[in-house]
Amino acid sequence: MSLLEFARGPAIHWSLIILVAGVIWRLLGVLVLTRGADLSRPRDAFGNFKGYRTVFSRSWPSGEFTTATRYQTIMAYFFHIATLIVVVGITPHIEFIQSLTGASWPALPNALGVAIGTIALVSLIALIMRRLSKPKVYCSNIGDYITWLLVATPLVTGLMAFAHIGPRYETMLAIHILSVAVLFVWFPFSKLMHSFWFIFSRAQSGLSYAHKGVRI
Amino acid sequence: MSTQATMTPVFPTFEQVFQGFAGQIGMLRQMAPKPTLTDDVRVERAIDTLIAETNADEAVWLESCIHCGQCTTACHYFQATGESKYAPMRKMELYRRVYQREIGPFRWWYKLITRPIKLQDLEELQELVYDSCSECGRCTMVCPMGIDTASLVHHQRSALVAAELVPPELAALHAEQKHMGTIFGASAAALMKMVDTIRDHYGVEIPVDKPAAEVMVLSSAVDLVANGNGLLATAKVMNHLGVDWTICSDGFESANFGLLSGDMSLWKRQVDPIVAAAKRIGAKTLVIAECGHAYPALRWNPMVKGEDLPFDMVYMSEYMGRMAKEGRLKLSPIEGKITYHDPCKTGRRGGAFDEPRAVLKAMDADYVELPSGREYNWCCGGGAGIFLLERATRLRDESFKIKLNQVNATGASTVVVSCASCRLNFEAGRVKNHWDKEVASLVELVADHLIDQPIAAGEGVRA
Amino acid sequence: MVEQSTLGDLLRSQGVSRRAFIKFCSATASLMALPEGLVPAIAEALEQAKRPSVIWLSFQECTGCTEALTRSHAPSLESLIFDFISLDYHHTLQAASGRAAEAARERAMEENQGSYLVLVDGSIPRVKAYSTIAGISNLDMLIETARGAAGLIAVGTCAAYGGLPAAAPNPTDAVAVSDLVHDKPIVNVPGCPPLPIAITGVIAHYLTLGVLPELDALGRPLAFFGETIHDRCYRRPFYDRGLFAETFDDEGARKGWCLYKLGCKGPVAYNACANVKWNQGVSFPVQSGHGCIGCSEPSFWDNGGIYESIARGQFGTGPKIATAALVGAAAGAGAALLARNKKEKKAAAHSATE
Repeated sequence: MSLLEFARGPAIHWSLIILVAGVIWRLLGVLVLTRGADLSRPRDAFGNFKGYRTVFSRSWPSGEFTTATRYQTIMAYFFHIATLIVVVGITPHIEFIQSLTGASWPALPNALGVAIGTIALVSLIALIMRRLSKPKVYCSNIGDYITWLLVATPLVTGLMAFAHIGPRYETMLAIHILSVAVLFVWFPFSKLMHSFWFIFSRAQSGLSYAHKGVRI
Repeated sequence: MSTQATMTPVFPTFEQVFQGFAGQIGMLRQMAPKPTLTDDVRVERAIDTLIAETNADEAVWLESCIHCGQCTTACHYFQATGESKYAPMRKMELYRRVYQREIGPFRWWYKLITRPIKLQDLEELQELVYDSCSECGRCTMVCPMGIDTASLVHHQRSALVAAELVPPELAALHAEQKHMGTIFGASAAALMKMVDTIRDHYGVEIPVDKPAAEVMVLSSAVDLVANGNGLLATAKVMNHLGVDWTICSDGFESANFGLLSGDMSLWKRQVDPIVAAAKRIGAKTLVIAECGHAYPALRWNPMVKGEDLPFDMVYMSEYMGRMAKEGRLKLSPIEGKITYHDPCKTGRRGGAFDEPRAVLKAMDADYVELPSGREYNWCCGGGAGIFLLERATRLRDESFKIKLNQVNATGASTVVVSCASCRLNFEAGRVKNHWDKEVASLVELVADHLIDQPIAAGEGVRA
Repeated sequence: MVEQSTLGDLLRSQGVSRRAFIKFCSATASLMALPEGLVPAIAEALEQAKRPSVIWLSFQECTGCTEALTRSHAPSLESLIFDFISLDYHHTLQAASGRAAEAARERAMEENQGSYLVLVDGSIPRVKAYSTIAGISNLDMLIETARGAAGLIAVGTCAAYGGLPAAAPNPTDAVAVSDLVHDKPIVNVPGCPPLPIAITGVIAHYLTLGVLPELDALGRPLAFFGETIHDRCYRRPFYDRGLFAETFDDEGARKGWCLYKLGCKGPVAYNACANVKWNQGVSFPVQSGHGCIGCSEPSFWDNGGIYESIARGQFGTGPKIATAALVGAAAGAGAALLARNKKEKKAAAHSATE
């Protein structure tokens, strides 16, 4: 079995199984816990519902914190959007997603894919530079660094595979797929789960503050 | 203050109140109860408390943190000191460890890879959840995940109550309220004495223990043992409004050291007699004294079912604001530029923003908002019992400078607060920094600017 | 196969012009990445080359490799060079049969001990009974013949990597030449079939330089297998622009867009088809509208469907992922329910101590 066969076959296969089982395990393990009840009378009878808008409004820092969070916000936006575009926008990825789900859509030209992938990588590097330069602010732990590394690796290997840098294409492709497999395995157990938690976390706070008539 | 100048100074100025209070706080440390349980039991109780208080909400918040560090920009203690340990995200680390080891979805794994909690961990936690977090919730405003760090800190305070690790000053008051039902000795007898003093010297009548009344008013220990002006002002305002009001001697204390220390059962226990008294007299409205944390302790008490209560609970500033909006509060214009500091517990974590501003508007105040106003208001640094902690003096003093700069930036000559704890902290900051601003309590300011006062108040003394 | 004449004599007797011969030499030189200055030397060496003895062993194969080399529509230089070698044993081509044929092989081995070349096409079944020649199993014949050889050339993917016979479930336990012969130089010239020029190129290299050419990690001559079909494909610009044929009869297919999504294995197939093409440079699979199937790669039969693009995961996901989701849901909900129970107990104990 060649490395590419291993990557495309059992490696990505098992990583997907772990990803799906792990994510659902962690989500339900938390969400099925008891819900605390706030019995106090809401300020406005239908006001609590407004709390859900925090899920959306918190996507951008309020004016109060714009300056303090500008660098991170911009870099994080570049990173998240660029990564998302690359993940769902280039042909090989669409092919992979199609083999999983059956859904397919038109792809971006490669030059654009490479450019956006580079933006994703650069913004990710910009974020780690800041994390490294301000240890007091970030209170980083080993998990933060592992997560960064595992997110950066697929970007680097993907770009290398495309640009034919390093080992032969099929080896690089295999390394790329393996790096994604490792990322998938790490995902459910790491802070990457914030891609799910953010909805619940924001909604909870939004509701609890809206209960008191405060818009956050 | 013009009215008082003509009277015998029965009550001290607030500066004197503050100095006297500081002395009393000093004594608290000796009165603090000593731990009675073994180390293992204390740790176990702390962990069990966290387990018992963890719902899906807390779990989600603990799971969500991505260490992005943005909360540090919001926290006054971090901004004032620049010390990494005061980063809000670190104030939930121990809780997360307990959560991951005890009830998290992968707890069997985390039991293997994380250290068990030791008493020393809890001792170190004390500074993080008492001294350096006023549960002001400002970090929630910036957190991209919207994590309610303040509530997580509060649960850890509960755990430290169980572990007998409450800081001495809070522990002493907690013990006093728990075992004697008083704070600084502010018993029903003290209330009666203060009521008599106010009647005798100022001719202001305070109706105590009326069998039935529309409005039930609370007082607080600070007013009863030190700042009589607070209760006096409250009485003047209520009399001015001409409402059917009373103070109940079996339920008058706003302050709640159950909430401040984190003792949920004491919190509840302190609330019960107040609710019972209000129900008994058929009150429609319960007015909470200017004591910031009493607002969440009563109005937002999650354990008291609001639907079952036949009355509304409002904060003093909220009540006056409503009256002002209805045009029932007749106030003379106030001079000078004025700004208002929202106490965390009534503002960001209470939602009473508009009412105090309506009161100031009714005084035709040249009002100016703080640069970071309303939901984004900086905490004064003394909230959630921190004002009482001697150990937290440096943190308080340093973080107050943020507040000081905020007020200076407005160019106002007076900063109005509506919370005894904020006011004490402002007073401390004013004295230490030789600050040229005046710090005023909203209710006392209103009492000073009442026009067309009912005959019962004031006239008798002047005659 | 008569007297010991030179290659030059042979070509002249066949009416090949000097010009055509030099052209062949420079094409070979450039394909094998040899410097241009070497062309006259190659030409001279080839002209003077004596006929080497070659034994061609055919095992589990389809004769396609031989066909590709000999059945071009007009006689080519490649086939002429092939004619030139002293093919002392080849089932398909030799006139002798039975005992006489085997005798020819044994004689060639004896007479050219240590200097003959062995060309193999077809894989070798390790279960001996599956394929025998004159009562000798393929396995035994290969071992015996390889013993005195100067080198071996595994022609075609079956000989090089096992090919179709070795594909799952591989009932004959078929293996490649290199799995059995370890002490002789082996050149793999894979392909199903391989490009004729790749076969003759290796022979020409051996004839001119006396050694076998430089190989890649899979034992293939780098000169012919150094680059992917994809990198040399004339449809590559469409790939880069994101223009793909989605089916074999859509607009994209008619316009000649990239066949990646139709399963073209060009990106992972190392071969020279896109450069030299087939049938005297007429076309190659991609040009005729079908994706490359990657026939020059090990286990290409088992690497997913011919019409599945390379980016696709090679597994049946649906039911397994659903099972994983169910297991995760059960574990998660179970963990939470146990935690609820624990929480209730702690809460009860906690309120009891108050």
